[in-house]
Amino acid sequence: MPDTSTGVVVIGGGSTGAGVLRDLAMRGIDAILIEKGDLASGTTGRSHGLLHSGGRYCVNDLAAAIECVEEGRILRRIARTTVEDTGGYFVSVSEEDEAWEPRFVEGCRKAGITCERISVEEARRREPALSKQVRTVFWIPEDGHLDPFYLVVGNVESARRRGGQVRTYTEVIGFTRNGNRVSGVLTRDAMTGEETSIGCQAVINATGAWSGFVARLLDVEVKVVPVKGVMVILSRRLAHAAINRCHKPGDGDIVVPGLSVAILGTTAVKVPHPEVLPIEWDEVQMLIDEGAKMLDGVTTARAMRAYAGVRPLYDLGAEAEGREMSRNFAVIDHEERDGIAGFTSIVGGKVTTYRLMAERVTDLVARRLGVSTKSTTAEVPLNDREDELDQLRHRPAHLGVPKPHGEEVALQPLLCECELVRPQDVEPWMKDPAVRTLEDVRRRTRSGMGPCQAAICSYRLAGRLVTDRGVDGRTATRAMADFLETRWRGVRHVFWGSQLRQAQVTTGVHLELFNVDRQLTKYFPPPLAGEGQGGGVPAEAAEVEAVGQP
Amino acid sequence: MRFDIAVVGSGLSALIATRTLQRAGRKPVLIWPGLSSLYFLYATVDVLGYANPTTAEAVEDPVSGVRQLIADHPEHPYARAGLPALQNGSSLLLDWLREAGFNWQGTLDRNLLLPTATGTPKPSCLVPTSMAAGDLHRNEPIVFCGFDGYQDFIPELAAANLSHGWNGGSRNVGAVRVPLPGVKPDRLFTSIDIARSMEDATFRRDVAERLRHAVKDDRARLGLPAVLGLTHDTDVHVEFEKETGHPVFEIPTVPPSVLGLRLFDRLRRHLQETGIEMIWAAPAHEAEVANGRCLRIHLKSAGREQPVEAKAYILALEDAVDGAWRAGAHTVRDPFFHQVLAQHATPGERTDESLFAPQPFAAIGYPVSDRLQPTHQDGHPLASNVFLAGGGIAGYDPTGIKARGGMAIATGYRAAQEAMAA
Repeated sequence: MPDTSTGVVVIGGGSTGAGVLRDLAMRGIDAILIEKGDLASGTTGRSHGLLHSGGRYCVNDLAAAIECVEEGRILRRIARTTVEDTGGYFVSVSEEDEAWEPRFVEGCRKAGITCERISVEEARRREPALSKQVRTVFWIPEDGHLDPFYLVVGNVESARRRGGQVRTYTEVIGFTRNGNRVSGVLTRDAMTGEETSIGCQAVINATGAWSGFVARLLDVEVKVVPVKGVMVILSRRLAHAAINRCHKPGDGDIVVPGLSVAILGTTAVKVPHPEVLPIEWDEVQMLIDEGAKMLDGVTTARAMRAYAGVRPLYDLGAEAEGREMSRNFAVIDHEERDGIAGFTSIVGGKVTTYRLMAERVTDLVARRLGVSTKSTTAEVPLNDREDELDQLRHRPAHLGVPKPHGEEVALQPLLCECELVRPQDVEPWMKDPAVRTLEDVRRRTRSGMGPCQAAICSYRLAGRLVTDRGVDGRTATRAMADFLETRWRGVRHVFWGSQLRQAQVTTGVHLELFNVDRQLTKYFPPPLAGEGQGGGVPAEAAEVEAVGQP
Repeated sequence: MRFDIAVVGSGLSALIATRTLQRAGRKPVLIWPGLSSLYFLYATVDVLGYANPTTAEAVEDPVSGVRQLIADHPEHPYARAGLPALQNGSSLLLDWLREAGFNWQGTLDRNLLLPTATGTPKPSCLVPTSMAAGDLHRNEPIVFCGFDGYQDFIPELAAANLSHGWNGGSRNVGAVRVPLPGVKPDRLFTSIDIARSMEDATFRRDVAERLRHAVKDDRARLGLPAVLGLTHDTDVHVEFEKETGHPVFEIPTVPPSVLGLRLFDRLRRHLQETGIEMIWAAPAHEAEVANGRCLRIHLKSAGREQPVEAKAYILALEDAVDGAWRAGAHTVRDPFFHQVLAQHATPGERTDESLFAPQPFAAIGYPVSDRLQPTHQDGHPLASNVFLAGGGIAGYDPTGIKARGGMAIATGYRAAQEAMAA
């Protein structure tokens, strides 16, 4: 007998898995999502956050571009505060770029993407930071910024309201089978090591770049190529809208402004394992140099951190059979392809089209379960309220900014001054068992994401762990230190200019005023394995990383 | 503008250098480049907390510890400055603090062990008297006291850690929280707001009353965040101890730090009141050198450049916060001579993988002569009348050994002696 039973187990807590959980819940199907780290701690949370208009794919991948157009419009309806409607520009800065323009315009026309050529003068009036090198500008109103953390959390919370369950830090270690039918999932808690079994009628493998590892537990193959992308976060937006190079998509050709920052993207390097993501200095330097071709101020702005994500590119050529289709993602029906009933993989794709991917895979699985209900995820807003903003996000207007007419709202205390996070924004997550580390709190609230990189809020959050959650002082201090260390890992790659001064304030507070370094060496056991990293890296991968690192 | 001796800096080393010159009857000018590290990093004057950056056992006798450090590491900034500079500089500071209206205590041969806001014992040497009752060499039980809605001191966290970290588990450590009179916890208030309110007798008595009820153990000492007054802190502390009926000690908090503000504000004002000229918010960005001497330094102030001429110069920028050097992606230079102080293939090389380990960037600086003159790599001074104090000196990293105040005092004092002799 399994410890728990459910209808469907969804493996993977990125945008796809979260979208699947919501789709299942909205069709009335019992489901549990398991994720080996935290929600959005893999590919989704490490994307650059561009809501694709489709402009980047319209020449080389028309089918993908058309999906982006449609899904972008749906997301603007169902996830209004998760999307920042920035619009975007495609700019030419060289003769080669200009040669690409007719193909780009034609691609936009075919895909149905609104595209308007505007004069450089007009563009510069709207975006004063456009570089002197810019020769031609196209305005693409449907590019946008998508907050990947809120997107995933919004989907999961919507599913939870309908009975869907989520277990974070829960790895799949095996399956139970009944003949050729998968009948359950064996899991292990990544922190405590506790093992549990979940009985189910179907399993959906939504683990993206990790799909192959999960499928291998059933002796079937899913070929996913993990491709690393490095990004750099600047402390200022520099532009109102997303800025793309008008050329064949390549390295360092996009700047995505979102909230108070801008993200320079990206690179594409095949990696041996989705968790081996070294950040090379050459990549950081290239992103800054290339970004500066499009926008002034990229080189002088303060770079806050660099990070790397992994794309789950799916080799369609090798998987010609057994899939429901699309150019850019695939549903693999393992019953048809491999003779294993109750197991389905969803691979490839991107954050912008997560909902469609979820709908397609859920269609198949629901049909197999005999459920005929259609997906309604394109119609119902994530927060289930047509008329209100998504309450997951609090805008600065809530924080006591004087209203233009009438009364002044008193200033409320902030837990994270950089990102305007209030104590009450953190409170509900302190009660959520799916939230285990302060990084998890960050992903849900943005606390610690700003210029000081958690120097101040980490102490307040550690305090909350003691007062709201009842953890002991040592665990709370360890959590604070781990949080700071995780932030530090990104800061190190862009360590010049003001970053040194910021680091000195951080070490001044934590090492000199608090003496935390001695708290760690004198009173603590070694850190918990994998904490703050979204689950442990497999032993063989850790070795590769050690060798691969300069 | 022409001066006797120009001191550039905004931290403790610049203040000590200026005061030393003033006491010797010289006429220094103090040039402040901008917001000071005093705001962020100072609460106590730490002389030597640990013998090396990673050892776990605290130093008990800092002056002996420094003597040993000098013997073992003749290149260390403490060795360059010399033990007498630390000793004379410290007496000068304590005298000065007294004259400026502070109540501080401590001697160089003994570290106090004070609980921090995370409840970690930390060795400190010279401390405000308002912190001294926290000394963990004493036996009375400790109750950490916080306030509803105040996030910068979490008594429960401090108590939970100290109950592990303090030797002798039988000793009591507790935590209480009280609401602040008239302060709604859902409204924004900072350490500075509370510190100001504590100067109001009615407010303070009300807080004392609430704490007296909340704390059950009559023998307990009360550990509070450092909010006991902003400008009249000595009186506030004395009165508050009477009003609560308990020994009370302050604990430094995250910035904005009331302890740092008090120190900075009053020492700065005292210098001005005793006739020291100051040039405000003017970062120096160039030293003009001819025939081995610095002729003038150029300041960037309010939209125009201002040259300052002096017989000697003390560059007392305490660290990166104070602008001791400028870092590009590969090259670190100083703001005066624009010499390359360090080259890195990647910026990541400046850091350790762990935030809590010694950071390579912290040790960047000029090689110095025996007289604290910045030198070329060959040991030859860049300018015979320029002297360094603080973080411009190579190997100056007080963080891990907890020696920020002592190193600032020793180098500031010594640089002032050398500048007078130049």
